[in-house]
Amino acid sequence: MNGESSPEQAEANRAVLRVDAGPLAAPLLGRVVAMMLARADCPVDRLDDAMLLCDAIAAHAPDHASDGRMQFVVSTDAEGLELRVGALAAQGARQLVEAAVLPGVGNVLEPIADELRIESDANGEEELVLELSFGRAGDQSDAQPA
Amino acid sequence: MISERQRLISVRVQTDSDMTAELELELPARAENIAIVRHAFGALGDVYDVGEQTLSDIRLAVTEACTNVVVHAYPDSEEGPLEVHAKLSGRNLTVIVRDHGKGITPRADSPGLGLGLPLIASLADTVRLGHNEQGHTEVQMGFSLDDRLNGRAGATL
Repeated sequence: MNGESSPEQAEANRAVLRVDAGPLAAPLLGRVVAMMLARADCPVDRLDDAMLLCDAIAAHAPDHASDGRMQFVVSTDAEGLELRVGALAAQGARQLVEAAVLPGVGNVLEPIADELRIESDANGEEELVLELSFGRAGDQSDAQPA
Repeated sequence: MISERQRLISVRVQTDSDMTAELELELPARAENIAIVRHAFGALGDVYDVGEQTLSDIRLAVTEACTNVVVHAYPDSEEGPLEVHAKLSGRNLTVIVRDHGKGITPRADSPGLGLGLPLIASLADTVRLGHNEQGHTEVQMGFSLDDRLNGRAGATL
């Protein structure tokens, strides 16, 4: 998320989305993240990964919201996506991560996100922070088949 | 992965009695972010029973209001926030588009045709231009989610 920008690179962007912890959260988050990633020239495989992350987060985060409202802070630049999910109740972030499990697949968040961490404030509320890199550094697509 | 993803999340259409929701979206006031707001409002149709024409009108009016912010609120390449607040209560939707800049003021060098506000007024049931307690410029639009067979009555500015 700290890469230098050039005229060819997508400009950094940041959206703050606050919504009731209800049925609107999932489609809103998915739509906002998808549009921002498209603007950031995100590779399509990582776009699919990001949508899976969003679906998992939106499905389980409302159960752990501290006050019935969710705040999603979506930041993109030429290198990747950062998604901050809050405000979660104490222990809510860990419970959210553990809940994002698919039968036969296992946990969805930990393998897809390049970084996953939990930040707490003085009131005990938590924020789940996920980072997803576009994987352009040392891009595997550059590798030529033998 | 589609079927697995569907297990993670299912969206059901809400009935009228369920229809209360509030959302806020804040972005830098840039042209490319207008499309994000427009796309986000499509989520109303994913969850609630909103007619296609009504949703289209809402999205167009919100797009026009956001365009006004991008074009008029922050002159001289200054960048500021574009804030959108929407509140759904029963079949009534109120959308407020807010900026922290100069708001909608007449400009001799305006690049537009000046059709934005009249278009908003024709699409929304109510329109109010004003300022909030912090002095930020707001365009408040009210929409009924009930489809009208003969088109919208339109608001008077």
